[in-house]
Amino acid sequence: MALSKHAIEEIKGLPGRFPEVRSAVVPALDIAQEELGYLTPEAMSEVAGLLGIDPGYVEGVATFYTLFHLEPVGKHHFYVCTNLSCMLRGAEAICEHLRRRIGVSREREVSADGLFSYEEVECLGACEFAPMMRYAHAYHYELTPEKIDALVEAARAAETRKPSRAGDGSGRAEAEQPHGR
Amino acid sequence: MPESDAARRVETVTLTIDGRQVSVPKGTLVVEAAKQVDIEIPVFCYHHKLDPVGACRLCLVEIAPGPPRPQTACTTPVAEGMVVRTQGPLAVAARADILEYELVNHPLDCPVCDKGGECPLQDYTFRHGYPTSRVDAPKVHFEKPIALSDRIALDRERCVLCYRCTRYYDEIAWEQELTVDQRGIHSFITSQFGQPLHSIFSGNIIDLCPVGALTSRVWRFESRPWDMRPTASVCATCAVGCNVTLWERRNQLVRVTSRENDEIDEGWICDRGRFGYTQVNDPARLRVPLVAGREDSWDEALTALVEATAGRGRRLGISLPQDVTNEELYLLSRLLAGPWKGARVTLERRSLLPPPPPDAMSIRDLDACRALVVVASDTADDVPVVNLRIKKAVKKLGARLVIVHPRDLDLDRWPHAVHLRPEPGGAAAAVRALAGHELLREGPVGILWGDGRGTEPVGELAVAVAELATAVGGRQMPLYRAANERGALAAGVVGAPDDLDGCEAVICWGPPPSGRIPASARFAAVWDILLRPEHGRPDVVLPDLSFAETQGSYTNLEGRVQFVRPALVPRPPLREGWEVLAEIGQRLGMAGMEYAGIFQIQREAARAIPAFAPLAGPPDPQPEPTPVLYGPARP
Amino acid sequence: MAGDVRASLAPGELRGSHGPARHHLLTSLFGTPDLHRLAVYREHGGYQSLEKALREMTPEQIHAEVKASGLRGRGGAGFPTGTKWSFIPGDVPGPRYVVVNFDEAEPGTCKDRYLVEHSPHLLLEGACIAQYAIGSHQAWVYIRGEYDRPYRMLVEAIAELREAGILGPRPFGVDYPLDIQLYRGHGAYICGEETALLESLEGKRAQPRSRPPFPAVKGAWGRPTLLNNVETLANLPWIVRHGGAAYARFGVERSRGTRLLSVSGNVQRPGVYEVELGVSFRHVIMELAGGPPPGRRVKAFWPGGSSAPVLPESMLDVSTDLDELARVGSMGGSGGVIVMDDSHCMVKAARRLIRFYAHESCGKCTPCRVGTNWAERTFERILRGQGTAADLQILDHVQDALQNGRCLCGLGDSAGWVIMSTMRHFRDEYEAHALHRRCPVGECRIEIERVGAHA
Repeated sequence: MALSKHAIEEIKGLPGRFPEVRSAVVPALDIAQEELGYLTPEAMSEVAGLLGIDPGYVEGVATFYTLFHLEPVGKHHFYVCTNLSCMLRGAEAICEHLRRRIGVSREREVSADGLFSYEEVECLGACEFAPMMRYAHAYHYELTPEKIDALVEAARAAETRKPSRAGDGSGRAEAEQPHGR
Repeated sequence: MPESDAARRVETVTLTIDGRQVSVPKGTLVVEAAKQVDIEIPVFCYHHKLDPVGACRLCLVEIAPGPPRPQTACTTPVAEGMVVRTQGPLAVAARADILEYELVNHPLDCPVCDKGGECPLQDYTFRHGYPTSRVDAPKVHFEKPIALSDRIALDRERCVLCYRCTRYYDEIAWEQELTVDQRGIHSFITSQFGQPLHSIFSGNIIDLCPVGALTSRVWRFESRPWDMRPTASVCATCAVGCNVTLWERRNQLVRVTSRENDEIDEGWICDRGRFGYTQVNDPARLRVPLVAGREDSWDEALTALVEATAGRGRRLGISLPQDVTNEELYLLSRLLAGPWKGARVTLERRSLLPPPPPDAMSIRDLDACRALVVVASDTADDVPVVNLRIKKAVKKLGARLVIVHPRDLDLDRWPHAVHLRPEPGGAAAAVRALAGHELLREGPVGILWGDGRGTEPVGELAVAVAELATAVGGRQMPLYRAANERGALAAGVVGAPDDLDGCEAVICWGPPPSGRIPASARFAAVWDILLRPEHGRPDVVLPDLSFAETQGSYTNLEGRVQFVRPALVPRPPLREGWEVLAEIGQRLGMAGMEYAGIFQIQREAARAIPAFAPLAGPPDPQPEPTPVLYGPARP
Repeated sequence: MAGDVRASLAPGELRGSHGPARHHLLTSLFGTPDLHRLAVYREHGGYQSLEKALREMTPEQIHAEVKASGLRGRGGAGFPTGTKWSFIPGDVPGPRYVVVNFDEAEPGTCKDRYLVEHSPHLLLEGACIAQYAIGSHQAWVYIRGEYDRPYRMLVEAIAELREAGILGPRPFGVDYPLDIQLYRGHGAYICGEETALLESLEGKRAQPRSRPPFPAVKGAWGRPTLLNNVETLANLPWIVRHGGAAYARFGVERSRGTRLLSVSGNVQRPGVYEVELGVSFRHVIMELAGGPPPGRRVKAFWPGGSSAPVLPESMLDVSTDLDELARVGSMGGSGGVIVMDDSHCMVKAARRLIRFYAHESCGKCTPCRVGTNWAERTFERILRGQGTAADLQILDHVQDALQNGRCLCGLGDSAGWVIMSTMRHFRDEYEAHALHRRCPVGECRIEIERVGAHA
């Protein structure tokens, strides 16, 4: 799994935006993860090579930040807030329902069809809409079992329309580019 | 400006620590000031050669004036009138709490830990920790032990995450192959994607580690620290002359560690010096002379050798090991002026560099340089610990860096380095072009230069370097390679580079030159600690002493004479090099070759050879063990 | 499922203060259709403060107005903004930076998101004024990675500003170049701590730095740097327009002006409310947010994000004055008011928060790295029905050993306060769980004790 030409060009252009090249590591890893779904040692090494930085440095940075996946995730990955404000409004039940709905028994487990996974995350800063989650680069508010069902159904339906992409392990939800580029 | 500079240099600050007054230079950290009055402030993350980070929090002390909570002594600079208390209730409780935290997930496997007995975690807990344990729960576990390389093991459960190892890699060695993964309680030290460490400087992290997390696999489970006897010595694997401690147990060399000498090594050694000792203990070590392949007496062996080498002139070839001592070189110089006159001599690992100019720089002088020019040398390979000193001058002291070398070097990791890449052989022209370079405008400028491993015409390069030094007001440092190359040059034992091709009689001391004994040799004597395949079938074999059994002295690349003591006792029939050379001299009929001991040789050599003048003085005393400082206090 | 590409907000997303009111200094325009568009923002007077600052005021005058306003940082520490600005050295040549802390991640805090989603230009105008005030030509907005929509809105808003020449070499024809860049975080609460944020901005593992040197002297990329929270900077346009004295007429004592409170948890109308400092939490929780669900009572509330020590219902009349909060053993913090009603268990809530701090501990300093995890595992044991009196002692000990200067930054202290304050006010619940294996509220399903499991 190597980076596309487009991603490589984009990464190469990053260092010029910062006073020092190290600042480009996180944005570069972000580009790589968007393309590959998760960060393998090879991907991190490739990013390091493109930036002229040691792979070990990139590894240390990548493993620090929770938005970087070091293991495969489902093509549709849900970040469900379970911190206090959401917990007080039923986040635990939401997670339980979601697990049943996508067929996994724990966080970060990928469903058998490779489509789904979820993780319980810390406060996402939308407490007035608790319980809530982030999915496909957007926030989803005031979750109920019905809303979860609808989201999962929509995702499944989208995959059925494009079966070729299912299970390719890219973990990439079909959302708009998150960078506004 | 110079006046205020001078004023700044002498500016001192007086403060009180636990009731003791101490005056230290402005900018000194509290933790260092305490050492001046023998007060212990325990530390894990702080190390005097690394930038302070305030991470482990063990050095918390009470400081007035200041907020009503303890402060880290490792990040706080002294101030006039400051009052520091290491024994106040806040500080005592804070230290005990931190130590308790360090032990919450520690495996407490001290009985089988190589660090046990010289472990700061043990010692500090003993002196500053809670007398009882509250920890009664499952611990956080990691996979262990991890082989960071074939020489270094990592036990992540013992690790206190002081980050000394990764900071050393980053700050001192300029490498990123050791890093921290994850965060919080799950943080762990790891090599880059689990690949083996390859840096030649990797072993220093073992010395730096304040717990048993990083241990030597070469030495692992060999012996307890208190079973070993330390001997202050000097590394003889290159011309830098790093100070080391050799650790002996049952007359075996079981460990080599660094011994800080700020003039030379600042406490760092390279992995060649640290791990390359195992052949000292090789069971196949030669102990008895061989004549025609059979064990024989020294008498028979030396008779044969003397017979075959006398009066051969240029047809006699002698190859020397790089760690030949000054004393041996002096005796050789006498032999070469006498019965071995005209013999051709080679020296293992030597450079092609001429003798140094009188005003050559010392290693310490690098610290004061505002610009460094490194010419025709891969310093990490040629003179590893000088390479670290260059990195320090550049990264920590702000010197600018110019590199003249055809290839990429590890110094290129400095983002502001200017690297000229002439073709091999073209260094002289590149050096000449540097006169007037903008980076060299502010001095002092240091020019460190090598021979490009034989690719550079050194005569021309020497002239170019001297001219550049004059042009920019700089000084030079020729980077010799062989451990005692300076000694050999001073003794006149080696002259212009030579080889032994065509010699009819050859004495091969140490590894054979260019990997083999010349085919022209009708007589070959080997003098080594092991018989090696490349020795072929020599006529005479003399058992040699290893560096760990040798007494004498070396002259390092800056001309400093350093004494070495034997860490192991050379048991008969092994004989010391000077004894063997003296006897050869006697057998060859030389007068004045009867020496009662090495001191007699040293006094004579000091008179005969100016560079060996320090041999007349006594060697440095053995260092005292580190004292236990004042300050234990349990809550 | 297509992602949310709408930049503008649906009416239902206006959960909090908006529209004109005497004390709506920040939020009076919120709810105006397309306020996020530069044209609309300017129609309502936007960027007039920046223009005024650039054309009519010296940096010193702006600084003086900020000082006079009594504004204190809205990120958490409540440090006087004018004083913070004065730490920036005047005589250092070379670049200097304004860094906007938009790494809003304190549990229970969503006001910066609310602010930017409704009026991104309010923040950007403030960031521009701050650049001019400290002699900087470059601001960096550090925005948490999960904030997708605020990020997109800022990208668009900045593009509008470049097009209009407000970001560029000559804003409003004045020869004072301004620029703003965005930097996305990638999931680390610790980046809210200013030196960790700088490390992250520099592309490193976000571990706080030992101070000194302070960011004002040696901040981003080693340069003098002013770090301010989103809401803090968003106050600047109002202060420049109306003057610091006018701002200081709001609020009480040493807590001047208004602030945004994110009210969440067990209330009927969670939302982000702009209040004049000095109003009571009873007003905020019971009136603005509608109080707990019918039939429930407020059990406790965190007045300033999860890091602010919890207060019991009996202290609802405490005011939002930062100093009064400090006097009663808590703090104003980030303005995240989390309300818990009597159907919830305090031990479980504390465990959840400790899990958060343990998860977010960067691992650099020993007490926080080990202490938060030790506490978390002790909580787990208690909630598994394996607790003993010794576990309560451990919690008591760990909270103390996390505070009082032990840790490198405030995260450890915050974790300590969670344990300390919940144990102080709800000790009986802890004892019921640890000693009697019983949850008084009935929320925790404590497993039947396995005898000897923790002997």
